[in-house]
Amino acid sequence: MQSSVTDSRRDTPVSAGPPEQVGPAPRRSSGKAWEWTLAALLLLPNLVLLVVFTYRPLLDNIRLSFTDWNISSPVANPVGLANYVEWFGRDDTRVVVRNTLVFTVATVGISMALGLGLALLLDQKLKGRNLVRSVVFAPFVISGAAVGIAFQFVFDPQFGLVRDLLARVGASSPDFYQQPGWALFMVTVTYIWKNLGYTFVIYLAALQGRRADLDEAAEIDGASAWTRFRRVLMPQLRPTTFFLSITVLLSSVQVFDIINVMTRGGPQGNGTATLVYQVYQETFVNQRAGYGATVATIMFVILLAVTVVQVRFMDRGQKS
Amino acid sequence: MNEFSRRGFLGLAGAAGVAGLAACAGTGTAPSSGGNGGGASSNTIEFWSNHPGNSKPVEQQIIKAFEAANPNLKVKLVDAGKNYEEVAQKFNASLAGGQLPDVVVVSDVTWFNFALNKQLAPLDDLLSAAKIDTSDYVDALYNDYNLDDKHFALPFSRSTPLFYYNKDLWKAAGLEDRGPKDWDEFLTWAPKLKAAAGSDKVVMELPDGSNYLDWVFQNMVWGYGGAYSKEWTPTFSDPNTVKAGKYLQDLAKNGFLKLSKDPAPDFTAGIVGCSMMSTGSLGGVAKDAKFDVGTAFLPGDGNCPTGGAGVGIPANITDERKKNALKFIEFLTNAQNTVTFTQATGYMPVRKSAVDLPEEKAFLEKNPNAKTAIEQLPKTRSQDNVRVLLPGGGARIGKALDQVVQGQDVATVFKALDAESQQVFDSQIKSKLGA
Repeated sequence: MQSSVTDSRRDTPVSAGPPEQVGPAPRRSSGKAWEWTLAALLLLPNLVLLVVFTYRPLLDNIRLSFTDWNISSPVANPVGLANYVEWFGRDDTRVVVRNTLVFTVATVGISMALGLGLALLLDQKLKGRNLVRSVVFAPFVISGAAVGIAFQFVFDPQFGLVRDLLARVGASSPDFYQQPGWALFMVTVTYIWKNLGYTFVIYLAALQGRRADLDEAAEIDGASAWTRFRRVLMPQLRPTTFFLSITVLLSSVQVFDIINVMTRGGPQGNGTATLVYQVYQETFVNQRAGYGATVATIMFVILLAVTVVQVRFMDRGQKS
Repeated sequence: MNEFSRRGFLGLAGAAGVAGLAACAGTGTAPSSGGNGGGASSNTIEFWSNHPGNSKPVEQQIIKAFEAANPNLKVKLVDAGKNYEEVAQKFNASLAGGQLPDVVVVSDVTWFNFALNKQLAPLDDLLSAAKIDTSDYVDALYNDYNLDDKHFALPFSRSTPLFYYNKDLWKAAGLEDRGPKDWDEFLTWAPKLKAAAGSDKVVMELPDGSNYLDWVFQNMVWGYGGAYSKEWTPTFSDPNTVKAGKYLQDLAKNGFLKLSKDPAPDFTAGIVGCSMMSTGSLGGVAKDAKFDVGTAFLPGDGNCPTGGAGVGIPANITDERKKNALKFIEFLTNAQNTVTFTQATGYMPVRKSAVDLPEEKAFLEKNPNAKTAIEQLPKTRSQDNVRVLLPGGGARIGKALDQVVQGQDVATVFKALDAESQQVFDSQIKSKLGA
């Protein structure tokens, strides 16, 4: 990925190196036309796929959000903004939004922090580090449903691993399946365990491509380890951090398998239900596909806004 | 060419990801006039099943026998999901333009919405034309699929809850070897069972609200003279229904009851004294338990809800395909095959005459716990509409019951449940009834 982009970091202090190049010599217009044609040819297959499988369903989804479509019915009657008014007025909206927020912030924040920590650790020349790297990454390739089933036993309040560990220190196990707070904690921990390998491997790749000479120079200048981390390393990792913050956010918000397998959105109906789970629940359980489409559309708008803010934030960071 | 920055690339990637996420999360499929009805040829019967009770081998065995008896017909067994809900999702997808099956498994909960939206064929005329006598189907099971005096499915993998108990614990508590006559009697037993069980065991464990507590709790509600609804009118605020809710809450408050995702493993492991679970759990529990397993009727007389699934035929396929599909359904659920299916899975025989077949008599002689389920069958009753026919009914009631067990005020929770159920009926069902 790094090789596919150009020089948006050129003007940052850490990457200031060789003088700016003047750029390629001006080309003739036929050359430009050829470049555009080539770009179009290369982009077209993916664009077609995006239009057919992403943008068309997206527009269809938005259209359906203004209807009362029952998923088994051949008829969808227009209802205007009624679904949106209902969503903003319902009591369970608050719970679902709170669950989504808590789950997303926790999974994005913790998995990125832990991933970076592990990457820093396993970037050192340690004995057996390749094995440990594989072990850390392995859960990421296991299916979420399988992980969910396995972790049901880990958190089982009657005979689970957590219960056993707590019993050794004289503590009793919380009932992870009946108390909403603990249930959300359980699915969050499970999700982080499964996906930690992703942030770890991306950060590790970024660390291996960093400029070691800057760190050495700072060390010679007497900078402390913390200062070097904060002032030398983190600015170099900024694009990676930005990339991870978007991709981990999107995958966290999409989580369905682990929640469905472990709690089915419960306890107490929506103790661990997130926005995506609400889309499923409304569409397939309550059969209100129109209302489910409304929740999906709202989720789209929220995520689009968050992504725009992230891009702006990154932009400001570059300029400063 | 303009330069394409890292920021621009990531921004676009993010936007595409967000759009993709919303498109995937949403339904994104326009309603159509109900599938194209195409797909299978008229002499190939496509059977969509989730193989309830790990029944794929026995389904294949029955299909083989059907094909031998009808050489001009073939049956294609399709894995349509791992549970009834997933089969319904796949069927919904096919209604929006895909290829329709000939025979589809529909549960006690999922059939109604398809029938209400005219996506399942009414079977009565087809049954008459094929001269199929329906009087041999167990009445309570056959009538579960009745809407406006028409039947939209025939019973297939039907189950009821049973009262399971640990005979060793019963003995240690000095109780008779039987289930409680009613829930008041159970309350007098509970302290003795708790004393005998010790602190590391649970007297009774039931599935939680996300896992069908609302199904077995109907027994308690009916036992106290209440109901979830009378026809379509929710009756959660009825004093008798509230009384049942308080009983459930008190069991938990006094440490006699715990809820779990699935009581079967805990009961089988011997850490639970008793439970109400499906007859479908019987095979696994009896095989793996290291103690003497007892089964009994649910407490109360005639307070056992039916459950499980039937098989239906899509409305929008050709008459020829419907005729063949019904021929297969009749074979699948005849007395001989319902016995084969029952013995392999633990579900109930759906034909009255099945229990008179010699192989079933021999089986019941060898498996007295299976006999309990058969003997309870005439005492079953169809579930209340607001659980089984109202969209999301089970999940809605389950959520409320979780709250009750966690200590919230029963009357308040049930009053809200009344209002919610009424609102769903008014907005989603009322205008379609009789249409």
